[in-house]
Amino acid sequence: MRFSPSLAIVALAAVAIAGCREADEPAAVTPDEAGPLVVYSGRSEALVEPLLDRFREATGIEVEARYGTDAELLAAMREEGAASPADVYWANTTGALVEAQSAGLLAQLPDSLLERPDAFAPAGGRWVPATVRFRVLAYSPARVDTAALPTSVLDLPGRQQFRGRIGWTPTYSSFQDFVTVLRVLHGDDSTRAWIEGIKALEPRAYPSNTPMLEALVAGEIDVALTNHYYVFRVLQGGGEGAYDPASTDGVSAPVALHAFATGDAGNLALVTGAGMMETSGRRSAAMRFLSFLLSDTAQSLAAETVHEYPVVGSAPLPAYLLPFDRAMALSPTVDPARMTDLEGTLRILREAELL
Amino acid sequence: VSSAALRAEVNRPGRAAVAGAARLIPWVPAALVVAGVALPLVYLVIRAFEADPAELADLVFRWRNLRLLGNTIGLAAAVLGLSTALALPAAWLVVRTDVPFRRAFTTLGVLPLAIPGYVIAYALLAATGPHGTLSLLTGVPIPRPTPFVGAWLALSIGTAPYMFLNIRATLLGLDPSLEEAARSLGMPRAEVARRVVLPQLRPGYLAGATLVVLHVLGDFGVVSLARFETFSYAVYLQYAAGYDRVYAAWLALMLLALTGALLAAEGRLLIGRQFSRTGTGLARIRTPFGLGAARWPVAAGLGVVALAQVGVPVATVVDWLGRGTTRAWRDLPASLADALSAAVPAALLAGALALGVAYLRVRRPSPASRWVERLAYVGYATPPLALALAIIFFSLRAVPALYQTLALLVAAYALHFLPEALGPIRSALYQAPPRLEEAARALGRRPMAAFAEATFPLVRRGLGAGAALAFLSSLKELPLTFLLSPLGFRTPAMGVWSATREALFATAAPYAMAMMVASAVMVVLVMREE
Repeated sequence: MRFSPSLAIVALAAVAIAGCREADEPAAVTPDEAGPLVVYSGRSEALVEPLLDRFREATGIEVEARYGTDAELLAAMREEGAASPADVYWANTTGALVEAQSAGLLAQLPDSLLERPDAFAPAGGRWVPATVRFRVLAYSPARVDTAALPTSVLDLPGRQQFRGRIGWTPTYSSFQDFVTVLRVLHGDDSTRAWIEGIKALEPRAYPSNTPMLEALVAGEIDVALTNHYYVFRVLQGGGEGAYDPASTDGVSAPVALHAFATGDAGNLALVTGAGMMETSGRRSAAMRFLSFLLSDTAQSLAAETVHEYPVVGSAPLPAYLLPFDRAMALSPTVDPARMTDLEGTLRILREAELL
Repeated sequence: VSSAALRAEVNRPGRAAVAGAARLIPWVPAALVVAGVALPLVYLVIRAFEADPAELADLVFRWRNLRLLGNTIGLAAAVLGLSTALALPAAWLVVRTDVPFRRAFTTLGVLPLAIPGYVIAYALLAATGPHGTLSLLTGVPIPRPTPFVGAWLALSIGTAPYMFLNIRATLLGLDPSLEEAARSLGMPRAEVARRVVLPQLRPGYLAGATLVVLHVLGDFGVVSLARFETFSYAVYLQYAAGYDRVYAAWLALMLLALTGALLAAEGRLLIGRQFSRTGTGLARIRTPFGLGAARWPVAAGLGVVALAQVGVPVATVVDWLGRGTTRAWRDLPASLADALSAAVPAALLAGALALGVAYLRVRRPSPASRWVERLAYVGYATPPLALALAIIFFSLRAVPALYQTLALLVAAYALHFLPEALGPIRSALYQAPPRLEEAARALGRRPMAAFAEATFPLVRRGLGAGAALAFLSSLKELPLTFLLSPLGFRTPAMGVWSATREALFATAAPYAMAMMVASAVMVVLVMREE
């Protein structure tokens, strides 16, 4: 194991910061090390790179990203330990952030940063939410009568007309977060019953949302439990940049999204977010990056190009997305502190032979 | 030591020490390979020991895993069958007959290697189903393949080139005089094929088959898209869904145990065989087998197979190109340069290491040299994510300055893909008569010079094919690239993966195109070398 005095200083500084949360910019404590700011990103290059360009333009700070899945990057950061080159971890899922936090990888953030988002402040203050996506039921308007769609995700198991026509992603993190919320809102037994009920309808399991929605378009399934922005992606036809709803007319659209009743577990809002690494030697630049993620520029960019919702209410939204407040109202309110039992969720999914 | 070599050393006592040292030279790459393969094993064992016995029973030793193991073996057997059926006739036709467009079909037979497995799987999915491109083109609704069939087709298409290249390299090196002798003794053609040609194909076929099977064992991208659950999928899920390194290590070790058993079986099939020419004189130039009037129908048949293998993925990517404009074009040259800067040295290094390992195996057969070769294959079967984590673990402890540098990435590629280079080189060495090198020694050449002048020219073709395989795989590689590459390093493979993950098919298209073109150029270059 390499011991570096500068790392020790940083660690001490981190302890000091953790001790007094009022402390603001920790740049005052240690000047940043040379070299670009290093972001480990569980989000795809295609989504992140345009934002990094804007950050470079806006701040003049050099930034480089290392991409991978959340799981790959988390495993790598744990192996790297104190020697990790990462300054910022930008995760694609809440689960990964919670895991990074409990592994002690993330540094305490100042209140000035934590107060900026209008929703989803995490317990512990070690990461900031960056964007929001909602769970929805995607369906084929050509093959499914809208009236047949249930108002609660809990009623989906009873729908015999969807036998063999349901798609889900049991191994995917967003789905697992949804199962965790089912457990929090309705208890483990109801959750097991719901899973068994869906299984009885012979659903098709996909590794992730993109191939599932491709399958929906291809006619392999009729409904899919997914995240809202994948529906816009499909409507956009695989192109880049902003989505023009006028380009797809409502009748021939291959896929549409259905929201359940207000407060239903099926409408769960899921956040992506970012934190600063405990071992970062470029804390000043890392803070500016996190701050930039919460700026109107970055928030609107995510909304326009990724179709995710912002976490800052003031950020302008494209017209085809629901207004921020209405979207937030759809999701059930869940205490984030109760969302951390991933193990219990995995156990239930393993018992159901889905993992 | 052969008697000729001994005589040479006895006749020139002053050189005995030099010769003794030279004998160790092939052991240098061998030692590197063993170390490189042992490191991930050690890492996995270290992590595995952190396990809690009760959890272990829940996560690792459960019936589901046994079922997945059964799925894996069934899929591997099926893929082996189909890839043989695709590659064996094609290799024979392009090497031994006068079928038209032999060169083009040779290139097409290797070309699926240029396409990442998950792109082939995506293409299959996009082409089928009532709204798939194939159905729209033909007007006939073609159903989506079942999970098993999808995985079987995509993997067979993707791995058939390993078989094709290995069999082709062996066929090219066969001395026709054996067959002619059999024919002149009155053996019918079919009998000659069965009793003379096929047995000689054994080392090439086994090398190809080993790669195909190990590829299926380790594949994650294709089986997950096809929704067919295999053991490697369980390993990946343990890392991905559980954010866990400990129980994943157990599963990875179980996968390696399975690999070990398969390799032991393969090794038994090659012991004590002689594949080189024993007679004097040059191998005769072969006259191609005339297909006569069947030439064009056979070419058409090859064309249909090639179209199925290459056409569907290429058509899919072309369709993606039409989905809109993208910034990928701007980033493409730099990412292609990055990919080549790692894949080219990795291919050369893999070729050099494989030459050392194969030389030991073929020319100095011993339990030790057999072990070295088996171990090299173990590296191929190590799940890449586990390999990447092991390299992080050891490089940061031993040489932190090397971490996330191009040198480390090249070494990782070379160690991981070395077995792909091994097959063609091993087959070529089996066919290069040891007597030539012994004669060179007897004429006073030092061991290295004797090898360079007598044996090397005969294995050059195999070396080229082997290095090309390692190159094509390095170009497609993902987990090692993501975690070990230098900062800011981007390859087209990363671009394709990142974009398809978000359904940004327009963005994926230029990268996928670039990979296919770069790989095709490489394939053509290697073929022209011959």
